[in-house]
Amino acid sequence: MKFRALMVDAGPMREFANIVTIISKLSKECILRVAADTLYFIVSDDNSGPAPPVLWCEIPQAMFFSEYQMVGLDDEHKDIYLGLSSGNLSRSLVTLKTAKSLKMKLTKKQCPCLTLEIEMPSSTSQQTRNVTHDIPVIVIPRKMWSEFHEPNTPDPDISIELPALKQLRTTIDRMRTMASEVIIWASAAGRLTLQIKTDMAKVSTRFKELRVEAFEGPIDHSDSETESQANEDMSRICYCRVDAKKLSMFLSADQVTHNRTLCSIVHKKLVILCLHTEENVRLQCFISGIVY
Amino acid sequence: MNWSKMDDVNSQYYFTASMDSGKTLCSLLKAIQFQETAVFCALPEGLKLTVEEGKCVQASAYVPSDNFTEYHVRDDVDVMFKISIAVLSECLNIFGSGEESSLKMYYRSEGSPLLLVLQPQSVNNVMTDCEISTQNADSVLELRDEDSAEVAKLVLKAPAFLGLLADLERSCDVIELHLSPEHPNVSIVTYGMQDRSCIDVPKSSDMVQSFTCENPVTLKYQLPHIRLIMKALAISSKVVLRCSSNGLLLLQLKLEKEDQRQMFSEFYIVPLLDD
Repeated sequence: MKFRALMVDAGPMREFANIVTIISKLSKECILRVAADTLYFIVSDDNSGPAPPVLWCEIPQAMFFSEYQMVGLDDEHKDIYLGLSSGNLSRSLVTLKTAKSLKMKLTKKQCPCLTLEIEMPSSTSQQTRNVTHDIPVIVIPRKMWSEFHEPNTPDPDISIELPALKQLRTTIDRMRTMASEVIIWASAAGRLTLQIKTDMAKVSTRFKELRVEAFEGPIDHSDSETESQANEDMSRICYCRVDAKKLSMFLSADQVTHNRTLCSIVHKKLVILCLHTEENVRLQCFISGIVY
Repeated sequence: MNWSKMDDVNSQYYFTASMDSGKTLCSLLKAIQFQETAVFCALPEGLKLTVEEGKCVQASAYVPSDNFTEYHVRDDVDVMFKISIAVLSECLNIFGSGEESSLKMYYRSEGSPLLLVLQPQSVNNVMTDCEISTQNADSVLELRDEDSAEVAKLVLKAPAFLGLLADLERSCDVIELHLSPEHPNVSIVTYGMQDRSCIDVPKSSDMVQSFTCENPVTLKYQLPHIRLIMKALAISSKVVLRCSSNGLLLLQLKLEKEDQRQMFSEFYIVPLLDD
């Protein structure tokens, strides 16, 4: 098993640090899967059972690293799976925004470590400083790999482009002070509604003119006492009730420069938020629906 | 909506109002938000929200009707109900404090929810509508006593007065206010565990804009009650203190807005009586 990689460009280093920060906000632990052409960050919910992971992030190595060498477990199993503390990783990468280069390698010290060597410019001289972080990792044995397979989710009923994440997060954070659950409505007509209902208030924030990527309707509402939304054909609307805190955490990903964010909904069951960046990073978050 | 239709709406609803930006209203509400619920009262001359702390402090936010681009109250009914002020201010702030958003309010009839429609000024593909439940209002305390004469009146600069209150020791329970026509005119005394501290403010001080007091008077209040006005002071330019002969303290704070319109907050604070 071998892994070493080098990053020298400022843009990708900043993005990489941002992505790791988001992951550390979502979970204390994460899995780093090293494959020949892609790095994966995977966060799974401890007690989720067969449910998809909470987060699935793909980073194409060619866009980020100038050097990238790896040798997997054996000829048949060409990947490396490492378990590590996402907080340790994000704290080590705080200085990456001003660094000249980052070297990452898998080392054997007292325990297996992901060693980060960060080269920092000096403000007073031409010389640089080297900062080394050793992050203890657990090498995940082969028999447990299946727990971190690519999520196999049901086909979404709708995929709709999200408005600016920052705007969305402000609104969700205001709603969170009033209720712990948010209902997300999406219609084939390009409308997205965030709604909370409590004894005190019903608050709905409605976005319109959003691009609909895919719609697999009609939606069956026969089993629910759904109230109709503004004279729209209900068979073209689906919804899902989710935890407001989880939604807000994903939305803090607005720090990562992104091209677009898609929201896919499996009616009443699942919300998949997927953020695409310029460098072809895909950051996906899976929030399962709350059903009473 | 054309005009005739708007008139229809106005006559159907007990109360309707609209405003270009709900931001100032929101910060005014936050300044008196020391209780969960407020009494919402739409009067022909303006909107008033009142909260009470025990039977000792009564705070009101008052927004004269000229702050609204449209303001309509039916004159044959009383528009008065209880509402969660926390929920109301969160709703007004739904697009964040960095965003100016226009606000419309509707209240159909007794027992109806208060409807709010908010639209940010910078983006036009989003809007929020809120239905906030309302309850019948209990009567609001009438603290003002017409028979008690005013014994002192001070006009102070709000930021300076806020600084003065912030300097007072937090752990003190009681604040004593000595007012006198003689120097040092105003003296504020607090008693701590082992100490007594005193701040003198002569009427020549920069923070005093006007001072009226015929006879020396000493008044005592609970400091935590006085501290309730600090959030309102932080957003106001001027504060008027009025003491009446029965010890009741009235503070009137003026909030200056960019558009020259004014909003106010008002606090009645009941004195501590010697036992």
